[in-house]
Amino acid sequence: MQFSSLEFKKNVFIVAVFVLFLILAMGFFRIQISRSSIYSRKSRQNSIRMITRMPVRGNIYDRDGRLIVDNRPAFSLYLVPAEVTAHTIQVISRLSGLSEKEIREKLRRSGRFQPVKIIRQVDMQTLTWIQENILDLPGVEWRTEPKRHYTRHSGLAHLLGTLGEVDERELEKFPDLEPGDVVGKKAIERRYDRQLRGRKGVQFVKVDALGRVVEEISGSQNAKPYPGEQLFLTIDLRLQAYADSLMEGKRGALVAIDPRTGDILTLLSKPDYDLSYFTGVVPRDIWNKLLNDPHHPLYDRAYQSSYPPGSTYKLVAAIAALNEHIITPSWTANCPGYFKLGRRIIRCWKPDGHGTQDLVHAIKNSCNVYFYKLGLLIGIDVWHKYSRMFHFGEKTGVELTNENPGLVPSRQWYEKVYGKGKWTRGMLANLAIGQGELLVTPLQMAQFVSILANRGTLVTPHLGLKLFDPITKKVTVIQPRRYRIPGIDSTVYAIVLRGMREVVDGGTGWRAGIYGIPVAGKTGTAQNPHGKSHAWFIGFAPFEHPEIAIAVLVENGGSGGGVAAPIAGAYLKRYFYYQGKYDYSIERILAEQRRKQDSLQVARQQAEADSVRQEN
Amino acid sequence: MSGLTKKIDFFLLFSVLGLIAMGLVALYSSSHTVMAQGSGTNYFVKQLFWTFLGLTIVAVVYFIPPRWIYQFSYFFYGFSIFLLVLVIFFGRIGYGAARWLRIGPFLLQPSELAKLATILALARYISREDCDLNQLKPFLLAALFPFVPFLLIARQPDLGTAMVFAALTLPMFYWAGLKGVNLTLIIIPFIMIFASFNFYAFLIIMLILLFFMIYSRRSRLLIIFVLLLNIVVGLTTPALWNHLKPYQRNRIIVFLDPESDPKGSGYQIIQSKVAIGSGGLTGKGFMQGSQTQLRFLPEQHTDFIYAVIGEEFGFRGVILGIVLFTIFFVRGIQIAASVKNKYNGIVAIGIVTVLLFQAVINMGMTIGLFPVTGLPLPFLSYGGSAMLTNLLMVGILLNFYRNKYEY
Repeated sequence: MQFSSLEFKKNVFIVAVFVLFLILAMGFFRIQISRSSIYSRKSRQNSIRMITRMPVRGNIYDRDGRLIVDNRPAFSLYLVPAEVTAHTIQVISRLSGLSEKEIREKLRRSGRFQPVKIIRQVDMQTLTWIQENILDLPGVEWRTEPKRHYTRHSGLAHLLGTLGEVDERELEKFPDLEPGDVVGKKAIERRYDRQLRGRKGVQFVKVDALGRVVEEISGSQNAKPYPGEQLFLTIDLRLQAYADSLMEGKRGALVAIDPRTGDILTLLSKPDYDLSYFTGVVPRDIWNKLLNDPHHPLYDRAYQSSYPPGSTYKLVAAIAALNEHIITPSWTANCPGYFKLGRRIIRCWKPDGHGTQDLVHAIKNSCNVYFYKLGLLIGIDVWHKYSRMFHFGEKTGVELTNENPGLVPSRQWYEKVYGKGKWTRGMLANLAIGQGELLVTPLQMAQFVSILANRGTLVTPHLGLKLFDPITKKVTVIQPRRYRIPGIDSTVYAIVLRGMREVVDGGTGWRAGIYGIPVAGKTGTAQNPHGKSHAWFIGFAPFEHPEIAIAVLVENGGSGGGVAAPIAGAYLKRYFYYQGKYDYSIERILAEQRRKQDSLQVARQQAEADSVRQEN
Repeated sequence: MSGLTKKIDFFLLFSVLGLIAMGLVALYSSSHTVMAQGSGTNYFVKQLFWTFLGLTIVAVVYFIPPRWIYQFSYFFYGFSIFLLVLVIFFGRIGYGAARWLRIGPFLLQPSELAKLATILALARYISREDCDLNQLKPFLLAALFPFVPFLLIARQPDLGTAMVFAALTLPMFYWAGLKGVNLTLIIIPFIMIFASFNFYAFLIIMLILLFFMIYSRRSRLLIIFVLLLNIVVGLTTPALWNHLKPYQRNRIIVFLDPESDPKGSGYQIIQSKVAIGSGGLTGKGFMQGSQTQLRFLPEQHTDFIYAVIGEEFGFRGVILGIVLFTIFFVRGIQIAASVKNKYNGIVAIGIVTVLLFQAVINMGMTIGLFPVTGLPLPFLSYGGSAMLTNLLMVGILLNFYRNKYEY
């Protein structure tokens, strides 16, 4: 074999060709035959994606089925990082209010073909404009997502609460949640979130290399989303709306409970705000206005703020004194208009004094001096004990968030704060009339007066009435806890309640009265160092077999009897009107009668005067 | 009829037609993907057009006297160099390099033409009786022919295509008379670059070299020179490598092993392997390949056309293509050995080398054996200039076969 012959060289080349293609064939064999299953799997993974199908969040209704919250479609704007151009980012930055840098950061953190939510709710006008200019805006996608829709623009905000994107702590706690999910953050939406949210479904789809859905894959591996349960609140929307109008322009709260069931018919705090602003990104100017408003509309005054209860709290001292047999129902004390405590003189609200009164009259007139004496008699420990028996100083457990437990001072508390032996009996005297370091919430006061209405039974106040599953049609009734406050004799209640009846029947709370329906209650005018007194009224009706208990607070409203009591009275009238037990036309007739009486009185006086003149 | 058989190499012709048919089928499938329908470029139709034009050229070239090819060589070469220079100034940029010239509605890729032109011109020079490639001066002079286009194309920058010119040189020299021994001596330093990282490999090659040099009874000077050269290469390469900055080393590593960079160039190789691998034995079926149809496979109509075959027709389809290519190249080599004329033979070998190099690199790339180079798969990849040039080459081969007794 000649190494330099053409024949040899030809064979070299031919061998080279065979060797090269053999190596290639082996390579193909390895991935197409030996490792075929690995690549088949990768091929499937490439093109199949799992899409989450979001469930519809449950609606919220009032006790009679009136719609309070439902869902409406909203459009969210997404950007796909692999497709956006600088121009797109510029335009979207302008529309969303986010800086270009923020947008780029969001895009950078996501996968190249994964759409990133940029604007949570875009209005129809903006969306239409985007759709018209879509050719100039590569990388923009929009998706329909539901947002909460409210049937009222005021009177609901604190009660319902807002929704927001899930945070890290919630993600840890609930494994079925994913980043970007919207959950209830406050109040009812949060406390009933698990029931309202429903369950997500899955849909498997085929996608192309840009992540775009090419077709839906049918089959049993898909799952339909399960809608959230419908929530029925104990609230009566008509009464809530009426209370809203009664408290318009004021700062304060109105809480009304059915003492028989613990159903909260009204939970209102003013000022409040329109929840509709909070269904998306809150406009910056609105948010700033709310934050900087000196009246703090973001706080709920019914359960998050606490106040000195004033004279309404005298009832606790009364019950304590009676039950402990420290006084008898006929025990009297004299009120000369002032009280000397050590070297200090503290005054009663009536400068001339009320004279000698028994308990019932002291309650009716809301005499401070009587209760100063009473307070000193019962002492701090007894007072504290009975305060706690009526669940002051602790949360009611209502289905809201950030409830304020209030503050009930004790001996230990005073010693800790002021030092042993440093606190005075004057402080105790103050506590007896509901002033001083004592703090309560309107909700706690409503709970208290419910207990009184029940003559000692507490049915825990609650907002949830029932849940309804739209698929199974199953109704879950939310059961409150019901239990008797132990150790308080029924005769004690009888006395105190008679006093409360007198308050409305000719006492300081007469303005809460209703013609034909006996109302009982207590006024309170709580002094506070920041300004005018807080006006309180608590009460219930009808006196026998009570159906409704109410607490009204008007911040810096002045006189309890003058400001809070009439509001309570109006509310109660409306309540009984809806029950069919009160007729507004009565008022017209009463006014007629009064007019007639007045004119009759005038005529009589005139006649007397005439006859006297005639005689002379 | 038998007279015709003597005149037409049917194995060559039909293997080419078979490959072209495979390419058209793959192009049709990939043209009908969801997105290609919107893009307006119908690769299949265009390729069909170039094919028919090219087949016409085959017919024309088949009948011309082979002398014309010889005489046209230098002019053709000069013309293609001219075009390459034009590309530098007027080239349209695509895929990161300026490769095309716009001629009316068509895009012409001069580098394709230059491949054939260089083969012809180089063959003409080294087929001269007075050209002994075993001497240094003729060797270097001949090497200029491929070197100039190599430079111009590498500047575009299109290193992959430029490599073709380097690759065609030595086989053509070998066929033209360069001794196997000398060929080996030239190749060894390149092997040494890779072997230098392993002490034992280095040692073994040095020993073989030593033994070989002594046995060959060459001049002392040459022995010492060759040994020294290889020792130097062996010692300095690792040192140079360590001197490179990490990012530079990274670049080279990624170039050689694209899968180490799955988001960048590795992405294409990975998708290609997934497409081919998931085709299995029989493939997923015509127009049923999910990687192709959903556009997960990049460059489906050019670089990765064979992956479309692999996914949709499986191992069976792949082997068919390999068999057709093998037939084509073996026939080409046989033609090179059977012509009377030295020039014809060198040209034929040059054509085989160029097309073989591209085919092997392209197919190897689809299964991850080679880095992504942008070399098209002959007769299958979409591309007008390539199809025309390749069919021109086929025409020349058929012409030489026809005239093998005279020339």
